[in-house]
Amino acid sequence: MNEQFRVAQKIGLMFRPGTALPKDIKKWAISQLHADSPALGISRKTGKVEPWPLSMQPDLEERARLFRLYRENKKKEEERKDGQELESAKRANREDNRMEKKDEMKFAHRNVYGKDQIRMRLMSFWANHFTISNSNGAWQVVGHAMEEAILANLNGSFSNMLYKVTTHPGMLAYLDNIWSAGEGSKHNISCKQKVDCHSGLNDNLGRELLELHTISQKAGYSENDIRQTAKTLAGWGAYLGDSVEKLKKTGGTTDHWNMYKTRYAEPGKKKVLGKEIGTGKDGLRQLTDYLASNEYTIMHLSEKLCQHFVSENPQKKDIDYIANSWRRGKGDLDQIHSAVIDRAINSKDDKFQWPMTWLFQVLRLSDATFFKGWQNIYNYDNDLMDVEDIFEELGQSFWSNRQPDGFLSKKEEWSSVEMFERRIRFADAIYKVGKPKTSPEEIMDRIGANMTTRNLVESVGDNRGRRFVALMCSPELMGLKSV
Amino acid sequence: MSRRDFLKFSGASLFLAGVPISGYTKDKPPGNISVILLEGGMDGLTAVPPYGDPNLITMRQKITPKGFTIINSFFGLHPSLPNFSRLMAKNNASVVHATSFPYVRRSHFEGQNLIQGGGLSPFSEKTGWLGRSLDLAQVPGKAFSLDMPLILRGNKDIDNFYPASIKNSTLKSDLINLISMSHSKDEAEIFSKLSKKNTKASLVPRHPVRLAEYAGKEMSKENGPVASVIRVGTFDTHANQVSDDGNDRNDNHAKQLEVLDDVIAGYREGLGDAWDRSIILTLTEFGRTVAVNGTMGTDHGYGSVGLLAGGTISKSRVITQWPGLSKKEQFDGRDLMATLDYRSVCAACIERSLGLEHDRIASEIFFTPKLPRVYDYIFS
Repeated sequence: MNEQFRVAQKIGLMFRPGTALPKDIKKWAISQLHADSPALGISRKTGKVEPWPLSMQPDLEERARLFRLYRENKKKEEERKDGQELESAKRANREDNRMEKKDEMKFAHRNVYGKDQIRMRLMSFWANHFTISNSNGAWQVVGHAMEEAILANLNGSFSNMLYKVTTHPGMLAYLDNIWSAGEGSKHNISCKQKVDCHSGLNDNLGRELLELHTISQKAGYSENDIRQTAKTLAGWGAYLGDSVEKLKKTGGTTDHWNMYKTRYAEPGKKKVLGKEIGTGKDGLRQLTDYLASNEYTIMHLSEKLCQHFVSENPQKKDIDYIANSWRRGKGDLDQIHSAVIDRAINSKDDKFQWPMTWLFQVLRLSDATFFKGWQNIYNYDNDLMDVEDIFEELGQSFWSNRQPDGFLSKKEEWSSVEMFERRIRFADAIYKVGKPKTSPEEIMDRIGANMTTRNLVESVGDNRGRRFVALMCSPELMGLKSV
Repeated sequence: MSRRDFLKFSGASLFLAGVPISGYTKDKPPGNISVILLEGGMDGLTAVPPYGDPNLITMRQKITPKGFTIINSFFGLHPSLPNFSRLMAKNNASVVHATSFPYVRRSHFEGQNLIQGGGLSPFSEKTGWLGRSLDLAQVPGKAFSLDMPLILRGNKDIDNFYPASIKNSTLKSDLINLISMSHSKDEAEIFSKLSKKNTKASLVPRHPVRLAEYAGKEMSKENGPVASVIRVGTFDTHANQVSDDGNDRNDNHAKQLEVLDDVIAGYREGLGDAWDRSIILTLTEFGRTVAVNGTMGTDHGYGSVGLLAGGTISKSRVITQWPGLSKKEQFDGRDLMATLDYRSVCAACIERSLGLEHDRIASEIFFTPKLPRVYDYIFS
């Protein structure tokens, strides 16, 4: 593969036909960190590429409103009121008020049609690192967190992104923090005097903030550190279904991303890993800033970045290079990401690509249409699969029920007969129904395919569909051999 | 919630392993073994409440099921486990209580890795204890799954199968063969296996009960698999472990117990006559805290229960050395103590189903030569 495509495969999503290939690939890649691209997509499968309608990208307040509406209708459905039990009404409730399928389609479109391929890859990396899954209604805002907590903060500092993700209503709901109340909080004390009032501390988010999001178990923290972290977090977040009145009363705002319920907060200072954390709302920022700059966090994440973007078998020198940039730039993400780009280009090692990344790359290279348009998200199509089914079949969906540790990057996790069968089948289906606009030969010429790939494609005969499947499932296109 | 949503939510998936290759002449293992992986940490005190312990009600009044079934003068069974209860009545099921793998750090990811890998510490093994057992029993195999869970990974080739549902797609074995030839060793082998796959196999429905029935049926066949794994998720009830309506069976934890119970019933149904040589066991990374956490849930703990079922059990028992629930009897002053190493239970089930000697299992599968043998408590 030529250098442009080799790099685009490792850290991007491949160049679409008609895009000029950059002469200086490193300069291009680094400039891509600031690439400006709207969410591009198609309205119908035969439509042209254009920006997603704003009406389908609601803000948090609107998402919360839709969530409340959805729940009210569900209640009516159970009570068989207002005709809400009718199939058509149930369907309308799902389609009008739930966001996850629209978000999933937008995510797919952005990756296939966007002009910000490296930013898309980084968004997926960090969204996976900070996994938010479906519990407590978080599904309504998973897509919002990806775009607004991750993507919108890609050019800032890691500490800022960490804080924005930790306080995002999706994270606070997914890991149960919305229910947590400090043991010494006003709410807890008055609650304990009543019959049947349940209140107390929940350490789920506190535990994962330390173990998964920042310092990792290598830091050797104690259960007490986890509890102190949970105490710092107590009071943050509210259930998405809470009424506007309740939100105003307990949090003083309707803004779910700035929701701090003083009555639920643990009073007094906290101490995490020996570091004193101040009292009140500002305490969390002190804690996330401290964790963000912790040496264990730097090493944990430098290795994870390296494993994902640089090499199947990351070397210490590459990890150290990224970690040093992290230290030098005091956690500035542009500098960290630039170091990742530098190492990915410098290292000639292969990097096996996630099924999801591979699918996007196949679609971009061939200019095939495999996702429906945004107008038809809920319509049955004879040829094209439902967006959620595509990701489910790939075994990789940001919108399915997931554990908070996310998808692993290593090849072994994705190498099995079933996983490989899906690559073949998807390539076949993409050829049959996606109507690729570029031929296997054109693709091979453009990417500078290696001899193994060319020989393979030759060996399968003249049938264009077979040649397409062979090309897309070649070691080269799967990220297994790039020489 | 519709049935489909519910099942999706329960997040179960099936893995079968150990299909003898045709023409393979070694003696068949004496039985078959199925593991139900419970992700998130099952609350043993909810599944099998020790109602005879006075501390249970003091510490857990709000979340202990009221309508439990009585097993004996000390232990009850959650009302969401009716099938398991019936099997106990027929002397075909047992409970192991206050047990765990030796893992006390309360992380899901380390914990899941350790209970599947069966090594001396998390992430120390690249293969799983069941996979290694199949190797040791010289049962070459085939797994049925989308991904390959660690527990089944072995040194020998365990292959997998889980029907794809991708519209407008076909598989052509000659094409796959050619693709295989272009790949290097590991991937070439996988593609090569794929090319030999029977693509006309009937679609396996993907919900846990049907999956369990399917697994049971496959294992009951003459040359069927000897091991299977089903995964049931979301036991991690940090908040709202019980429902507001006072009905035990609507509790969040109970809904997962119900899936587990249905899975066991599915196995029973599917196994048919093969039930008599079967053992099914549950596996979870840890139990949950004794005390309720205040958001009406429980946090990560230590000791939990294992549920065992199968025709190889001839006397139902609750196997335990009860540690007590008072504060000083708890592990770290918060969790149910584990008095029995669950690896011993796994070892006994391997011994019974695959016919391996305990000493070999202890040293070669679990790397712990002195692992106690508990076979007689379960199978005699």
